[in-house]
Amino acid sequence: MKIRVAAVGDVHLGEDIRGRYREKLQGIEEHADVLLLAGDLTRHGTPAEGRIVAEEFGGLPVPVVTVLGNHDYHSDAEDEIGAMLDDAGIHVLRDDATVISLDDGTRLGVAGGKGFGGGFAGKCASEFGEPQMKSFVGHTREIAERWHKALKGLDDVDHRVVLSHYSPTKDTLAGEPLEIYPFLGSYLLAEAADAEGADLFLHGHAHHGTEKGVTPGGVRVRNVALPVLGRAYAVYCLGGEDPESC
Amino acid sequence: MSDEARQQAASSHDAPHYVAARVQQALAEDERTSELGVRVDVRGDDLYLRGQVECAERRARMTDVAGENAPGLKVHNEVTVMEVRGPGEEETL
Repeated sequence: MKIRVAAVGDVHLGEDIRGRYREKLQGIEEHADVLLLAGDLTRHGTPAEGRIVAEEFGGLPVPVVTVLGNHDYHSDAEDEIGAMLDDAGIHVLRDDATVISLDDGTRLGVAGGKGFGGGFAGKCASEFGEPQMKSFVGHTREIAERWHKALKGLDDVDHRVVLSHYSPTKDTLAGEPLEIYPFLGSYLLAEAADAEGADLFLHGHAHHGTEKGVTPGGVRVRNVALPVLGRAYAVYCLGGEDPESC
Repeated sequence: MSDEARQQAASSHDAPHYVAARVQQALAEDERTSELGVRVDVRGDDLYLRGQVECAERRARMTDVAGENAPGLKVHNEVTVMEVRGPGEEETL
């Protein structure tokens, strides 16, 4: 049972590029069965920008699932933006999961949310010391715990994808300054995918990173930030043993 | 940061390192830009911006914000406008 997953993140839509992304999504149903968006859909996280996102990605001929990114939180309107996207038929993951069923019976489970930072094993922040530091690391830990539960619940699907804004691994950050790695992701996100099992982990956020990596447990990771891809969306075929089959 | 605070910072901490840091913060925090992934380098009287943005208007606004936060320096905006191609070849996993 195969499925073609289109993915992109960090499109950073605003009034100045209104309508331009929609053009690039023409014919997406010929290339993919589902579109996953890895957050940072807006620049400032305003409701006005949220409406533009809903216009550009709403009503497509394939199901659309998204998470929000740090930019989408900037104006404290993330709930309003999420509701707008819900109304436009775009499924917003909030540290939970959803299942997409294709006409041929293939079932894709998608779990995730924004994610957060903290760094990577051996070089990461700890829940120790000042309350601000405990809060920073605790936020990621709580998110990862919810992802464990969300993935556990996806027990009757053909494929499982984790969708995040922040990265689960250093692999796909290559090209970013080492000093900012703790602000780009956390190994706790990878740990959730490795413990519960997933076929693919998609993220954005790292504009200067690289597309391809793998978690410590062997889950394939793809950084789909638009500046990394340089194309409207990437397409990953899951379950296609024969390269020609997708 | 208010304009007054910015000017005070500009006059009291003019080491290139601080100027680059101030411009980088401004590019992230100023509503006209909100660009987090821009590299800022100061060499003598010249300031260089490098990175990618989605359209020419966003690039132009970066010149304005950088100039306001680095008085006396010449801003070289080497930021490129991203060219977004079609989906291209799929990858089988």
